[in-house]
Amino acid sequence: MSRLKQIYSWLDHRLQLGKPLIEMAEHPIPNRTASWWYVFGSAAFTLLLLQIVTGILLALVYVPSAGEAWNSLNFLNHQLTLGWFLRAMHGWGSNFMVAVVLIHMAQVFLFGAYKYPREFTWTLGVFLLLMTLGMAFTGQVMRFDQDAYWGLGIGASIVSRVPWVGGSLVHMMLGGPIIAGATLSRFFTLHVFVIPGLMLVFTFLHVWMVLKLGINEWPMPGRVVRRSTYMAEYHELTTRDGLPFVPGGVWKDAVFSAAIIAAVAVCAVVFGPFGPSGQPDPTIIQTVPKPDFFFLWLYAVLSYLPPSLETPFLLIAPVLGIAALLGLPFYAAEGEKSWHRRPIAILVLTTVAVSFGVLTHLGTYTPWSPHMDAWSGGPSIPARFLHTASPLEREGAVVFQAKQCRNCHSIAGYGGQRGPALDDIATRMTKDQLIRQVLQGGGNMPAYGKNLSPSEVTALVSFLETLHPANEPAAADAAQAAATGPSGH
Amino acid sequence: MHRAHSVSLLAVCSILIGCASHLPTMNSVQPVPRPDQIVSFDRLYGENCSACHGANGQDGPAIDLNNAVLQQLLDDATLHRVIRDGVPGTQMPAFGESAGGMLTDAQVDALVAGMRRRWASASLVHPVQMPPYTSTLTGNTARGQQLYQSDCRSCHSGRRQQVTDPTYLALVSEQALRTILIAGRPDLGHPGWLTVGGGRAITDQDVTDLVAYLVSLRVATPGQPYPEQSETGKTAPHTQEK
Repeated sequence: MSRLKQIYSWLDHRLQLGKPLIEMAEHPIPNRTASWWYVFGSAAFTLLLLQIVTGILLALVYVPSAGEAWNSLNFLNHQLTLGWFLRAMHGWGSNFMVAVVLIHMAQVFLFGAYKYPREFTWTLGVFLLLMTLGMAFTGQVMRFDQDAYWGLGIGASIVSRVPWVGGSLVHMMLGGPIIAGATLSRFFTLHVFVIPGLMLVFTFLHVWMVLKLGINEWPMPGRVVRRSTYMAEYHELTTRDGLPFVPGGVWKDAVFSAAIIAAVAVCAVVFGPFGPSGQPDPTIIQTVPKPDFFFLWLYAVLSYLPPSLETPFLLIAPVLGIAALLGLPFYAAEGEKSWHRRPIAILVLTTVAVSFGVLTHLGTYTPWSPHMDAWSGGPSIPARFLHTASPLEREGAVVFQAKQCRNCHSIAGYGGQRGPALDDIATRMTKDQLIRQVLQGGGNMPAYGKNLSPSEVTALVSFLETLHPANEPAAADAAQAAATGPSGH
Repeated sequence: MHRAHSVSLLAVCSILIGCASHLPTMNSVQPVPRPDQIVSFDRLYGENCSACHGANGQDGPAIDLNNAVLQQLLDDATLHRVIRDGVPGTQMPAFGESAGGMLTDAQVDALVAGMRRRWASASLVHPVQMPPYTSTLTGNTARGQQLYQSDCRSCHSGRRQQVTDPTYLALVSEQALRTILIAGRPDLGHPGWLTVGGGRAITDQDVTDLVAYLVSLRVATPGQPYPEQSETGKTAPHTQEK
């Protein structure tokens, strides 16, 4: 034992790290701050370490070349013992990290922890959030599959909208005019060297300031932050009612971090790795790419915005959003920290959280894309509509499939959901209304008058007229029946 | 005490490592193949054919492929050509890459082979010779009309089976008429060549004449939604026979 002690003192005499480290570990924290609310920052740091370790292990096998990346991911998934688990840990670690960083930020905002003297801690935190999202996006590119390819395509088209320099920016981003090997090398450099390097520096400074300035005290209504008095008040609080970080608060951090790592591992085992989906080949058009969950809200926003607002939103909203986040601690450096006295902050946080949740849900479940295979594949129109049909009506059903109506309109629960389901369309529209709708379109439907021959339209409409429940007759035009008399068609 | 601890630790470690090396490498889940590498009949048929020709080659709006007579009528080359190039003028699209579709020749072959395997019957023998897929004979419209009146009208006079509707005739090819006359639609309960002529098997000449008659009923401007009203003074052919 004394031998170990000798080695330690020999090293510490030269390194001079023991004292400052012990000081840091024992730095006082306010008693009430040793709370479960304060564990998200350390959890984010733990996840960063997990990502670094799993990332290094992945980099041992991953080949960052356009020709080999996809194969090396499949090698990891299918050939290497536990390779799939490693990929799953890194992928789920990434999702958890984005989520935990966002929760950490929401908690800091809610507790007013960005106020004096911690403004700059917040500023660095905003940059760390942006870098986390940057890691998430570049990581999605590392998974060089169809989602990555088309995700890059969307990214490039967003960048191309910048006035004047858009084209050059795209060229710089992709390393050439197209998505190719140079693009992957570029994103590999960003994902493995540039952003992680910056992240480590920023994280070090972020944690340094937390240690030196002290952790934010529990916000109490009426305990107002003033530049002139805050430092003395905080010092008094920690000496009167404080406890050392180790062991006072650290065990909660440790337990929560361990729980998060366990949760990542459980997700990795249960749900497995992300992709890779199909090969990143633009000639393969049978694909429905979607972004990972942290960008689904953006996908939803862009789907809902009218085209004229897309460019302003894409170019102005992020600038305003980041400026607002960066400016927040300087605008509100003093004043109340307690959420009981900050109704606007609560409203803002609630609005942002609800919008994020709703848009993510919409992005996940809204069937924006037509079902591009429904015209030729899947179950056919139910036999009950066909067995008693006339030759013309049956031919109309073939037109319905061959002209790809079913890609947007479902029958019997199969088909696209861009347009209404047509199972009982005949009860809603008369023959003439159906002909007009097919020829001229309307609502969100294109006009097919120029794409269908008169025979095709007639056959199609005669088929559509049969689409009604057995006990509910098709809609009929009463005026027409009166005009043509009882013998009318 | 210490020794016991380290031994048990070592044991736990080796068990864990042993388990780890036997964990699945996800071999059960195959990498996503390129779409043009898929040659599974079920997958190809389910993605390209089933919506029109029915899930099991039956009960779809287009002709039933799960029909041993039809499978006998068409040879491999014809089936391959129809899938690859489609049938111009009808709703059958071209699926072959060479004709602008998505399927390679190997995939079209896989479809043909799969249909033969599932739906053809090598033991199918007929009492009289089946009319061929295509004919070299010339059709006689007048004889076709007579045949239609005597053999077909009993079923086809009702509005539900109106095959003389010029709009219908504008959408189907002569070959399609010929094929369905011979093969029938057993999935819908419609007879084929052996029984369609009132219990009598029809011949190549009968089929050719009937098709010639039906084709003669085509009009210059098909697809009128209200033919009775649009052609004032001149009634459409299919209302004539009522």
